[in-house]
Amino acid sequence: MAHGKEVHLEDNIQIGDEASDLGKKALGVGVVAIVLGAVVGGGPFGKQFNASYLVAFMYVLAIGLGFLWFVTIQHLTNAKWSVVVRRVAEIIAANMPVLALLSLPVIIPIALGQSEIYEWSDPSKVVQSPALEHKAGYLSISFFLVRIAFYFGFWSLLSRYFLKQSMDQDTSGKAEINKSLQALSAPSMIAFAITLTFCSIDLLMSIDAEFYSTIFGVYYFAGAVASAYSLLSLSLMWLQGKGRLSHAVNREHYHDLGKMMFAFGVVFWSYIAFSQFMLIWYGDLPEETHWFHDRFNGDWKIVSGALLGCHFVIPFFGLLSRHVKRNRKTLAFWAFWILIVEFVDLYWLVMPTLSKDEIPFHIADILCWIGTVGIFIGAAAMRMKGKNLVPTKDPRLADSLAFLNP
Amino acid sequence: MSEAPKKTKHTGPAPLHGLLAEYETPNALIHGAEKVRNAGFRDWDTFSPFPVHGIDGAMGIKATILPWLILGGGMTGFTLALGFQWWANGVDYPFLISGKPYWSVPANIPITFELTVLFAALTAVFGMLALNKLPQPAHPLDLRDRFSRATDDRFYVLVQASDPAFDERDTRALLEQSGAVFVEEVPEDAASESELPRGILYVLLIIAAASTIPFAMAAYARESKTTKTRFDIIPDMDFQQKFKGQRMNTFFADKRADRPELEGTVAVGELHDDDHLYAGKVNGSFARTFPAAIKIDEATMNRGRERFGIYCTPCHGQVGEGDGMVHQRATSLAEGTWVPPSNITEERVRLIPVGELFNTVTNGVRNMPGYGHQIPAEDRWAIILYVRALQKSRAAELKDLSEQERESLIRGG
Repeated sequence: MAHGKEVHLEDNIQIGDEASDLGKKALGVGVVAIVLGAVVGGGPFGKQFNASYLVAFMYVLAIGLGFLWFVTIQHLTNAKWSVVVRRVAEIIAANMPVLALLSLPVIIPIALGQSEIYEWSDPSKVVQSPALEHKAGYLSISFFLVRIAFYFGFWSLLSRYFLKQSMDQDTSGKAEINKSLQALSAPSMIAFAITLTFCSIDLLMSIDAEFYSTIFGVYYFAGAVASAYSLLSLSLMWLQGKGRLSHAVNREHYHDLGKMMFAFGVVFWSYIAFSQFMLIWYGDLPEETHWFHDRFNGDWKIVSGALLGCHFVIPFFGLLSRHVKRNRKTLAFWAFWILIVEFVDLYWLVMPTLSKDEIPFHIADILCWIGTVGIFIGAAAMRMKGKNLVPTKDPRLADSLAFLNP
Repeated sequence: MSEAPKKTKHTGPAPLHGLLAEYETPNALIHGAEKVRNAGFRDWDTFSPFPVHGIDGAMGIKATILPWLILGGGMTGFTLALGFQWWANGVDYPFLISGKPYWSVPANIPITFELTVLFAALTAVFGMLALNKLPQPAHPLDLRDRFSRATDDRFYVLVQASDPAFDERDTRALLEQSGAVFVEEVPEDAASESELPRGILYVLLIIAAASTIPFAMAAYARESKTTKTRFDIIPDMDFQQKFKGQRMNTFFADKRADRPELEGTVAVGELHDDDHLYAGKVNGSFARTFPAAIKIDEATMNRGRERFGIYCTPCHGQVGEGDGMVHQRATSLAEGTWVPPSNITEERVRLIPVGELFNTVTNGVRNMPGYGHQIPAEDRWAIILYVRALQKSRAAELKDLSEQERESLIRGG
């Protein structure tokens, strides 16, 4: 209705030293936590540190990929409601090069053939296992490094390009930028789906190289998107707490973010998790069932049960009501909730393969988590400084500001 | 419709139903609705060709209880689906499927999920209709010509005369001030029936009654006995134009549908004229050597070990001592008819010639069934080779060991 209307924003839409202060603190805490994690976890090649760091890294990678997906799908669908929240997502998605840097503690031990987690990277273990020998063509160190470089290269370029084009529109005001980004996002979405799937297979599923599940990438994706929506909601709340975007972002936008948290973090995740489980349970093939057997026995039984309750049953009823999604405090609670169960979920994906029966909890798990999240948030906050937090000349901005849920 | 009322039950002018105000834009409608809301009316409504954002607030409509009904519908579907599957397969008619428990929750989830969604969706649709008091067969507004534009490009507010705050003159003034471009009186519809037409009612009743017939038939069939055969829904599937075994076929002289094998017929690859290889016999007595076609090497030994593991261990046990899982199970159940499997490493069996062992594997002995039809002859010989190795391992002497093995045995001991 209000297409291309000139918009006059009264809000404060820039943030300066407050962002860089947060950024410096978070980066400092992050680096110290990772160094401490490496010290208590047996050095940069210690098995404990490598495992703890892998969980923490896949956690922030999921958030980053979730943000990149969010930006891509908004352009692809020419979405109007999300314009006021899209810039913040673009800024956080541009963390992809930082994530490439953060991946080094995972990649370097593999590249040097010193990883104790990825059995396929150790030739002496490959010869003992017919399954690993069979997969050696794909799971070879050099091919692995090429793939990883491709994934992070693609994601970095795409996220940076989205941010740059969107920022250019703030000055030029060209409406064609929307069109060209929409055209770009279609093939990018396909490439994103393929790279995310294979990356989750390479970094997560290959720990247990005898196991395979074709839906694994979708499982990782569900958690990625849910945690990105959660962190986006919390970021907007933080900015509004600092007096930014006071009117531009209102409860209608939070309502939509909450719907997506519910849809992806609760329903879609459960649907995919159960689909993966049921087909393996019904097929009853040993090379697949052992993966669930590890997770349904010993102490891991408790974690699996907790995931069912905390990733599905409790948040399903907790986030179902629109009143919960339209209230900032309750939405913040469930955003934190999802971000925490996502970590448990990734811990549950990685650790049972390395330690059957017992939960190998170690202080390095928490230190690495704090470390990667600190660096992720710190880098995003630094980038936020001095930028418009809303795409001021996007032709759809007026629609987004006036957006109402039915 | 302008000639209505065609037929009046009462004489004199129809009583007033309410006042209808027409607006040109959605914003004018919202503005008008706010005025009416603020004047404290209860019996009134708005009409528009499409959903107008913000009209709920402008009319002061409270949030609908529909979501709660949908939640209830979904939970009913969930409980019903899970409960019925539990009752049907776990309680009323326990049926073992693929060795799973009678009540196996993972298998029940898809149906539970579908019924949850179905009940929630049906509650949403029918709950919406019911809360909106639909279907409404007749409404006084149907008789107003102008009102047909409510499906096109105009927006309306109707204030009913039944509202306690209604006053014909004051309400008209209020509507005119609220930005309406036109205000008119709406008389009650005296001509149309306000109830569902009898015909439709009867049809619905008949459908409802007929829908119980299948349930009644199922219930009757469960509780009654009959001498009739079942009826054939698809006769050409039940009675196919072909001859089955053990039936008559007058086409042949012997009138049998199944044809006997011709004398001397051999299927391709089934000649089996090498007695040594296929029967374990040389010149009519059991062979003491392996046939020439069987290579005595490590590959055959591994093959034999693998086949032994698949076919023999369930009864004879991993090393052939006759203590397999089946034997243990039968012993624990104290089955009187159980003949224990032989310990194939004992001396009696060690002295049996390989040809006779082969014959036993092929045709069975005592309780043991023959395996000739499911294990190829080469594999049977491989099993015999492995059995010989097992026997040797149980009766080995010190001189059979290599120098190294002997030393390690002494040191280990």
